[in-house]
Amino acid sequence: MTGAGVVLQGGLLPEGLNVSFKIAPAILVVAMLLLFLAIGYFYRVADIEGMWVAGRSIGNVENGMAIGANWMSAASYLGMAALIALSGFYGLAFVVGWSTGYFILLIFMAAQMRRFGKYTAPDFVGDRFNSDTARAIAAITTFLIGFVYAIGQARGMGLVGLYIFGDIGLPGLSGYQSMVVLMMAITVGYLTLSGMLGATKNMAVQYVILIIAFLAGLYVVGFTQGYSTILPQVEYGQLIGALSSEFSAPFVNQSYYLWIATAFSLVVGTCGLPHVLVRFYTVENERTARWSTVWGLAFILLLYLSAPAFAAFGTDLYASNIGDVYGDPGMTSAAGDVIVVLAAQLAALPTWFVGLVAAGGIAAAIATVSGLFIAGSSAIAHDIYSNIVNEDASQRMQVLVGRLSIVALGLITTLAALDPAAPIAALVSYAFSLAGAVLFPMFFLGLWWENTNRQGALAGMLTGLTIWLIPMLNEVLPTYVGTGEPYSPLLAQWVPAIGSALVAVPLVFAVTIFVSLVTAEPPMHTKRMVRQCHSPEPMSQQTTAEDVVSGSDSPADD
Amino acid sequence: MSDNSSTDSIADSAVETDGGSVSSAARDHRQTDYLNEEVNLLKPSTPFMRDHLRIVWIGFAVWAVIVFGPVTLTAIVPDLMRTQLPLVGFPLHYFLVAIGAPGGAWLLSIWYARKRDQLDERYGIEHGTAEDAGRPGGGEEAAAADGGVAE
Repeated sequence: MTGAGVVLQGGLLPEGLNVSFKIAPAILVVAMLLLFLAIGYFYRVADIEGMWVAGRSIGNVENGMAIGANWMSAASYLGMAALIALSGFYGLAFVVGWSTGYFILLIFMAAQMRRFGKYTAPDFVGDRFNSDTARAIAAITTFLIGFVYAIGQARGMGLVGLYIFGDIGLPGLSGYQSMVVLMMAITVGYLTLSGMLGATKNMAVQYVILIIAFLAGLYVVGFTQGYSTILPQVEYGQLIGALSSEFSAPFVNQSYYLWIATAFSLVVGTCGLPHVLVRFYTVENERTARWSTVWGLAFILLLYLSAPAFAAFGTDLYASNIGDVYGDPGMTSAAGDVIVVLAAQLAALPTWFVGLVAAGGIAAAIATVSGLFIAGSSAIAHDIYSNIVNEDASQRMQVLVGRLSIVALGLITTLAALDPAAPIAALVSYAFSLAGAVLFPMFFLGLWWENTNRQGALAGMLTGLTIWLIPMLNEVLPTYVGTGEPYSPLLAQWVPAIGSALVAVPLVFAVTIFVSLVTAEPPMHTKRMVRQCHSPEPMSQQTTAEDVVSGSDSPADD
Repeated sequence: MSDNSSTDSIADSAVETDGGSVSSAARDHRQTDYLNEEVNLLKPSTPFMRDHLRIVWIGFAVWAVIVFGPVTLTAIVPDLMRTQLPLVGFPLHYFLVAIGAPGGAWLLSIWYARKRDQLDERYGIEHGTAEDAGRPGGGEEAAAADGGVAE
């Protein structure tokens, strides 16, 4: 795999990990999930009682935590430390891409999106470009993002689950594969239960629990092993000299180009991911949208400055307890993906404590997957089925289609995760490439150039989808059906699946702008909606740009 | 565009009522009908947009340097960038990328949010809280209650 330069085998088994059933960690996982549900249930009541009526709205800090919780998937919790441990300096492209992207989101999109007032990608694209086809493409993209993103989460759950539940040995499946099946079953159960309870996720609480589990792991490992005291996020610098040079040497297995492509892709993906947008829905006004992005980035950094430290500690512990990290055989990507848990285990910490770290990873993954599945199924049930396929669909039919698409998502995710193509973070970054290539240009141009029109958007999105798909077929498909090597190494070098947005974004911009220029301008009503997004005049909480534009006299068009 | 005669006169009368005391930026703001001014990232059409975009582009340029500068330098002059830093022990390139870039982006975002607040202040814009947003339920009611647009 280009992403991490490691070869994978079907029955993933993280060497060195203590694979057996452990009661305390199992209880912790269940307790965390139940706590999420219970708090979500409690807040549901609060919601109805008058989130809006009492003027209760989500402020800077709380929304910042929600942004942080959104980000705390298995990719951040497990996958980032993994890539830093496995691929050294290249892994930092993930730290940089997944954090600094928020600045671009802040200066170009956060407040404007808040003013536009549409918070799902299909809604934005459909309304901005007055097109059900555009809405459908955005919905399919949302569904695909959910699917690809979830594969990485499933891999993370399957690997960490081995530590907590051991090898449950489903017939015909390896220990890892059995665990993926079990974990996905738990996820769908969690999803159903939270749906039945009508629980809204309380993201702030979720953030606090997860960051505590992660930081506790880091501080205790650092302290007990003598690596660090009060600030492991900086103290690991002293350790770098003692680690193999591969940990910090630049461009050893991955080129400068790949580094830039990956970081760029992750940045634009951050700005294009549907579930990031939703976080601006509950904020009071656009000023809160801005400041909560600042807070959100701070909360994310708490994790992101810590992950390299965790990776450094884990790498050192691996080297002294198991064997050489780099070279042959070296650390497998499976062990890398659980390096956070492995570090705690190798530091000989009590089982329940290692379990806390592991439970955090699993809870992060389950919460993320359930969010993705809900977004994906609503894209299918609402935006495609009832909007396009069957306009007279009853409520019941919509719900049924929604449930069926969740089951379908669960099944294909499980299947794809049985023999995953890449480490967690690389899998998740395929989803970022997609969001960056298809949705980011639509959001950006849609908000910043009023003459972007329907034809431009359609042409642009199809271009983006195509450019994303080509490297996926070239690199990722062969890991399932072929030798595992890309069909065209040259293509894989210049349009890597992990960073294809670097190529796609400029092309999609060019296509969208060109087609918009040669076709008719969008209607005045649409232009005025865009202008409303940039007006400095304050807007009230529940107003959308559409409301404002329709409310005022617009004698020209429509 | 040609459909702005009614809205313009309203904007003008607003200026007359409390003229002298406001800053010129705020006056510009009151005289602008934002729904009739083109939005184009490369051609800001209102004074506010010009001032805002100046901040945005400065921020973007600094961001690009913070994020892609160190890694590019590492590719060009690897030996220099791999110098070990005193005290913290990091090689320079690792420090700038792992801590400098994310931390820098965060400081930059604080800078931007503050600049943007100052801009609002200069243009005499105040962001209300939920109370003046009208009652729950009707998006359209809320729109009508919001004095933001000429209406």
